Amino acid sequence: MASIDLEKMLAKIKNSQWALADIDWEAPGAELITEEQWPKLKAFMSDLMWIEHVGARGFAALAKVAPDDTLREIYTYFHAEEQRHANAEMALMRRWGMLEGDEIPEPNINLRLVIEWLDKYSDDMPLETLGSVIPMLEIALDGALCKFLLDTVKDPVCHQAFEKINDDESRHLGVGFTVLEMQGHGELYKLAIKAAGTLMRPTLILGILSYLPLLNKMRDNIVEMGLPEESLYKVMKKFETIGGRTAEGRRNPWYQIISRHGRVMIDRTNYFYHVPVDAMVKASSYIPKRMLPPIPTWVKELTWNPVA
Amino acid sequence: MKVVSMSKVKSLTKKSGAASRVKKVNSSGVGTAVADALIIGAGFAGLGSAIRLRQQGVHNVVILERGTEVGGTWRDNTYPGAACDIPSNLYSYSFAQNPDWSRSFSGSGEILAYIHGLVEQFDLLPLIRFQQNVSAIAFDENDGVWHVQTTQGETHVARSVIMASGPLSNASFPNMPGIEKYQGHKIHSAKWDHSYDFTGKKVAVIGTGASAIQIIPELVKQAESVKVFQRTAGWVLPRPDFVTPDWNKSLFRKMPAAQTAMRNALYWGHEAMALGIIWNTPLTNVVEQVAKAHLHGQVRDPWLRRQLTPHFRIGCKRVLISNDYYPALQQPNCKLITWPIATLCEKGIRCAEGIEHQFDCIVFATGFDVCKSGTPFPVTGLNGRELGEEWKRGSQAYKSASVSGYPNLFFTFGPNSGPGHNSALVYMESQIDYAVKGIRTILDDNLKVLDVRPEAQQRFNRQIQKRLAKTNWNSGCKSWYLTEDGFNATMFPGFATQFASQMKAFLSVDYRIVTA
Ligand SMILES: Cc1cc2nc3c(=O)[nH]c(=O)nc-3n(C[C@H](O)[C@H](O)[C@H](O)COP(=O)(O)OP(=O)(O)OC[C@H]3O[C@@H](n4cnc5c(N)ncnc54)[C@H](O)[C@@H]3O)c2cc1C
Ligand SMILES: [Fe+2]
Ligand SMILES: [Fe+2]
Repeated sequence: MASIDLEKMLAKIKNSQWALADIDWEAPGAELITEEQWPKLKAFMSDLMWIEHVGARGFAALAKVAPDDTLREIYTYFHAEEQRHANAEMALMRRWGMLEGDEIPEPNINLRLVIEWLDKYSDDMPLETLGSVIPMLEIALDGALCKFLLDTVKDPVCHQAFEKINDDESRHLGVGFTVLEMQGHGELYKLAIKAAGTLMRPTLILGILSYLPLLNKMRDNIVEMGLPEESLYKVMKKFETIGGRTAEGRRNPWYQIISRHGRVMIDRTNYFYHVPVDAMVKASSYIPKRMLPPIPTWVKELTWNPVA
Repeated sequence: MKVVSMSKVKSLTKKSGAASRVKKVNSSGVGTAVADALIIGAGFAGLGSAIRLRQQGVHNVVILERGTEVGGTWRDNTYPGAACDIPSNLYSYSFAQNPDWSRSFSGSGEILAYIHGLVEQFDLLPLIRFQQNVSAIAFDENDGVWHVQTTQGETHVARSVIMASGPLSNASFPNMPGIEKYQGHKIHSAKWDHSYDFTGKKVAVIGTGASAIQIIPELVKQAESVKVFQRTAGWVLPRPDFVTPDWNKSLFRKMPAAQTAMRNALYWGHEAMALGIIWNTPLTNVVEQVAKAHLHGQVRDPWLRRQLTPHFRIGCKRVLISNDYYPALQQPNCKLITWPIATLCEKGIRCAEGIEHQFDCIVFATGFDVCKSGTPFPVTGLNGRELGEEWKRGSQAYKSASVSGYPNLFFTFGPNSGPGHNSALVYMESQIDYAVKGIRTILDDNLKVLDVRPEAQQRFNRQIQKRLAKTNWNSGCKSWYLTEDGFNATMFPGFATQFASQMKAFLSVDYRIVTA
């Protein structure tokens, strides 16, 4: 992928805005959700909606460290768009009778930990780290999970909403990979030293400790939904393929780290990785709720209601 | 209100050299008196110019004002909470100090009353032609006069013109997507609709600049709900606002020297701020820390604090001054929205987070149409030159006041004259005195043409752009100070004291002259 013109991209983003009110959430089709599907779908949608927030919070942090006004504005839009995805997904859940009143779905514990980490530390992470991790998260979780959903759910309103969401996601990825390549410019050894320095930051280590179990947990959820886990791996490979298409992309040390981790992650026979990480997933499920810090106030902004 | 004048300026009064001439030049064939000086605009600058011209013996003066009243900025900006953000003792003319300011930062009504006081004290009303909206001016080289046309169909002729039409006098609804679809009530901060009752209304405020942060605390007291749409967070410094005690007023009344001393103290206090605001110095960091401490002290929620933390260096955009903005945002009926606005729609505003926010009224505190490239109306100089055309890529002048090819014309708030840290009126006084010197030269030496030399203008601009490159304004953020291409045609890169010394000398060698 040749790098895109970010000014043009920003103009395109501004011209592609949509609102919840563009969709008729009362249109027929809700009955196509089977009774058997319903509880699993509810769990899946709750996670999905919170994954939008992982992206959202990541973009918010990127907007802080963006090197110029254009990229800052793009990230500000992306932050809002992830919130829009979460809002739309909540509107779907409400349509399917999965939300009562002003209730907001509960995130699973691994998501909570990642969001907590992002909220605390991501604003201080350098652009090259966040700018490389976010495309991976976007591909593996945000982009991919949406597609899986469409394979299992027949409700046309769901398809209508996800057509718009996926359209947004394609722009997120386009920018994501462009930035990944931008960060591969410069002398390799300097890039590597800087990356090594960042890697040793205790705050990043904490982040990694919450990110690894999240991936495994989402893999488990996908299996739970009755989807083949290979499809997740396929999209994770996409990160390696697209990100590594140009020399600059490959020179970005964060690309190297993340894509290598991806390879390990999709190799189920690598017990050295999966046994401890699965154990972390299990362990995190025992973290008592009261130990978690209060939910950040931006969560209150979430709504299924198209008008306010 | 009473304005005290300094009697010594009257002693400077000279007799006008060339008497006014009468000529037949009007396109409609009617005989028109040729004014010695014509002033466009009856705001602070226009009225101040008239006062100083007369004090220097130029009496044949006409002021054209498009409105029905004097006051400019302070006639138009009457929104709730409107006030100056430079202390009144400094935001007033040194030759007309007012001992009676009721507070350190006076409200717009009081400032307007001060302006009316100037008109009365200096008997300016007979000079002003109201409801004359200047639509074009053109220089006639043969006669050495400017022809000034108004949309009302009049043509005025004058030997010199002072453009005092205001740096921030044109406001319009912004060109936002969908604005034509919105069916609710719309108000622009600079054209407040006092008949609209906000009680029980759902209100949006678009913008978080100098006007917005004054409006919001007032609206929050009245409206049912207020949503504030912010694009970029600005730096906010605390505002040392207090009511002037009576003893203070009577002291200033009895001892004008005490007030001058106060004015000087304020002046030097603001000059010191330039070090932090105009250039990136260790003081910049200190001022930023003060602003951050202000934010920390007033806002407890970390997310809201994050939303309100600026991402650019202080001084890059106009610094805001307020004690009640942050508290107002945290009132239960107020909410800060930082999602980008996608479009306006019939019932309100749709943001990028996909939600339609519905309102009874939208307040646009979106600023002014600033002329950074071009002129507010056609200005035709020697050999049919068009100033708007020459300024397309960013305006430039000599000492902000004269432009080569446009003789006998003087600007207030011309290119690179804007203060970032001190009172506009301090700058204005030097600009006015400069124009008065130029006009006196035209009259005393009976000149047809007084035109700044192009080399002098070029030399001046090379220097100023070099100095601008080192300032915070040019440090990489978008602001209304810069043109689309990032050219800074608005601000003066230095202390007010430097500006004053730049304007003090009228170097006639830098001007080409043609005698009548
Ligand atoms: C809300 C607000 C607050 C401000 N606060 C401060 C402050 O605290 N400190 C500070 O230093 N500065 C402040 N300023 C800047 C302020 O603009 C200047 O201080 C000052 O008032 C400018 O005066 P002026 O006479 O140049 O322009 P104006 O006051 O704008 O007057 C220009 C006049 O020209 C008239 N005019 C315009 N075009 C034409 C035309 N074509 N034909 C005829 N007449 C015309 C207008 O009607 C107007 O009356 C503030 C500005 C605003 C908008
Ligand atoms: Fe998304
Ligand atoms: Fe995304």
